Amino acid sequence: MTHVLVVDDDPIITDLVTFRLTRLGLTVSAESDGEAGLAAARQLRPDLVVLDWMMPRMNGLEVCRALRADPDADLARTPVLLLTAKAQEPDLERGFAAGASDFVTKPFSTRELVSRVTAALPPGSVPA
Amino acid sequence: MTTLAGVALVLGAVLAGLVVVLLLAVAVEHLQRTRSQARDAHRRAELMPTVHALLDDDEDDPAGAATDPRVVSAPRLLDDLVLDLLPQLRGEDRRALQRVLVARGVVDRAATDLTARASWRRGRAATLLGSAAGADRTPALAALLADRSADVRGAAARALGKAGDPAAVTPLLTALTGARALPLGIVGMALLDLGTPVLPALRTALTDGSPAAQALAAEVLGVQGDPQATSGLLALVPGHRLPTEVRQAAATALGRIGSPRATAALTGLLTAGHLPVLQRAAAEALGRIGDPAGISALVSGLHVLDPGVRAACADALAAIGEEGRGRLRVLAIGTSPASRAALSALDAVATARQWRRPVVSR
Repeated sequence: MTHVLVVDDDPIITDLVTFRLTRLGLTVSAESDGEAGLAAARQLRPDLVVLDWMMPRMNGLEVCRALRADPDADLARTPVLLLTAKAQEPDLERGFAAGASDFVTKPFSTRELVSRVTAALPPGSVPA
Repeated sequence: MTTLAGVALVLGAVLAGLVVVLLLAVAVEHLQRTRSQARDAHRRAELMPTVHALLDDDEDDPAGAATDPRVVSAPRLLDDLVLDLLPQLRGEDRRALQRVLVARGVVDRAATDLTARASWRRGRAATLLGSAAGADRTPALAALLADRSADVRGAAARALGKAGDPAAVTPLLTALTGARALPLGIVGMALLDLGTPVLPALRTALTDGSPAAQALAAEVLGVQGDPQATSGLLALVPGHRLPTEVRQAAATALGRIGSPRATAALTGLLTAGHLPVLQRAAAEALGRIGDPAGISALVSGLHVLDPGVRAACADALAAIGEEGRGRLRVLAIGTSPASRAALSALDAVATARQWRRPVVSR
């Protein structure tokens, strides 16, 4: 079963994204800060991480860099989708430089989010 | 025990008692607040399935969920939940939530509050309508741009930006002048929030608006990089009768748009001995455009009196590419002000390259 980890400090967003992705047939876990998100990623080894940028304790870019530097090569390759209000050109550059695979900018559309999650996962990961 | 010692003892006991009572009061307040927040979070969690249902796909009947009796009769907390979620969402999700607020009467109540006596109620209503209402509320929000309270005027401008109706451009630009004029920054942000659909109206404002509107329209068109605005902006650059800020904004916008069509007008502005503020704007714009045809004018700009203009010309030459930097290297030999400006620009380029160099770990 394809597993997605959602890390966002806004419980309404976490709940909404979890609902959308669960309905897609994915298994979803959620964390509310960067540090807990990184620990969960190391423990759960998800197929994809949906990550907020501005979070307490450890921000999304720091989590992203830590994932990319992880000694576990599989975890280091996990696609990371940044879900963030930071949408300026320099922000995109910083996000991709930190290892993000893709961006969804807030305000966001849950339909777009679902499409980007589907595109970021290997073919056949999302139930038809 | 003396009488004095007895009084001191009693006073001490009373003080200690007061401190204990105060601490207890704080603890009770904290407990009540924590319980209230937990209750609120629990009630919000209970309402989330309703929100999910609202956002669920139903292409045949998109308005159906909003008028569902369970939604219409849900507690008022649903309104707060929807209003919290609204700024985070866009597209059909956003429209679905807006329909809920309309169906539950939230939008109508806010529209009524736009004429409330208390300014905080008018401001709150404007903010809510900016998030939740459609184009039909634009005239009511535009009327608030002349409100007696500056806070309400600002809230109305921001709301018009969020509501996304291109018809708001004219009232927003008009609100830049008069006794109750709005700050440029607030109107500028609202225009940027309105996005690219307002570009045609902004192009019109370049010729029809007040000087403040012309300058702001030019600035926003430049930030949006609208190539269709080039002709209108070019007409403003040599306008000797126009205020300086309009011509400056037009020159800067042309640089941001980046079309070499503007090179001749900008070199004219730089070399014809205009105000330093205009010369700086022209030099910066030429650097952004990067057209080698601007090099001669920039080199001559290195010899003007104003150090800001010299620095802008040198930076622009450095930005134009190898040809511009070659001219700077020649000019950097010597001790004249022009040489110092050239050397400084070359140093800045070298420093920027150093920072960009990847760090090699050993």
